[in-house]
Amino acid sequence: MRTSPPRWAEALLRLFLKPEVFASVSGDLLEQYRDSVHPARGLLRADQWYVTQVLGFVLRGTRLWAVLFAAAYVARTAFDWLRPTTDFQTRSEVSTALAAGILLASGFWVAWRSGSFATGAAVGLATTAIAAVLSIAGVAVLLAIWHDPQTMAAIRGSGDLEESLVLPTFLILPGVAIAGVGGLLGATARRLVRIA
Amino acid sequence: MAEVLGTFEQAVLLAILRLADKAYGRAILQEIETRLGREVSAGAVHATLERLENKGLVTSRLGSGTPIRAGRPRRYYQVASEGIAALNDARATVEDLWRGLRWPLKGNA
Repeated sequence: MRTSPPRWAEALLRLFLKPEVFASVSGDLLEQYRDSVHPARGLLRADQWYVTQVLGFVLRGTRLWAVLFAAAYVARTAFDWLRPTTDFQTRSEVSTALAAGILLASGFWVAWRSGSFATGAAVGLATTAIAAVLSIAGVAVLLAIWHDPQTMAAIRGSGDLEESLVLPTFLILPGVAIAGVGGLLGATARRLVRIA
Repeated sequence: MAEVLGTFEQAVLLAILRLADKAYGRAILQEIETRLGREVSAGAVHATLERLENKGLVTSRLGSGTPIRAGRPRRYYQVASEGIAALNDARATVEDLWRGLRWPLKGNA
């Protein structure tokens, strides 16, 4: 019978920790898993416990970026609703650049710490997934505050409410790609600094 | 003036002091869970330990591994003199805030 946590979860943990602490932190989790959690809860619940612990590390590494990303999305949405326009090009360029910048920075930063090329994509997935939840909640709050006829007309003019609520989930895949690029740059930069 | 400590930072530092030369990650987590009477995530403890070390309030060294850890080393922590000063300041602040009041307080509920 297996007495070790899922390998994929341990591999995910490695992406979010500095190399110099991975051994001791993963060792602590493994010791707790084998010594107390697995004997007390059984294999399935012990695995659930381990995955929850790893997701805690993932959340700590990405929550700031997720909040920034969601804030940018909600701010752009609020701007479209409260300051409607017919020419969205400038706004789109600014908000797209801001979103891409946040994702690049998130992938770069976490990959710089971990030194792993794969970290960026994982960061992008976690960041955009968490941001999607926050963004949809933020749009719901905007709608709760502003739903007068003028605002509803502005919403229809900017792509309708459905777009505002669904778009955050469509950003996950490009988010993985952009943060992945940031991660490649971050891990590369770390290696170059070490060589220098 | 010494570093201002949050509640969880104090809990971590005090756990390290109590455990003395047995203060490694998992032991610190167990000590805090016992004192607080609730489960604590490993991520919270390790993030706090990293932050305290970056602030110079604790130091750490790698110890040996054990078979249950698949040979992975334990990282042992010690409270630095700056950490002691910060804890003493935190305690003095709480004492000042409570001066003149008797614990436990009795409310009008």
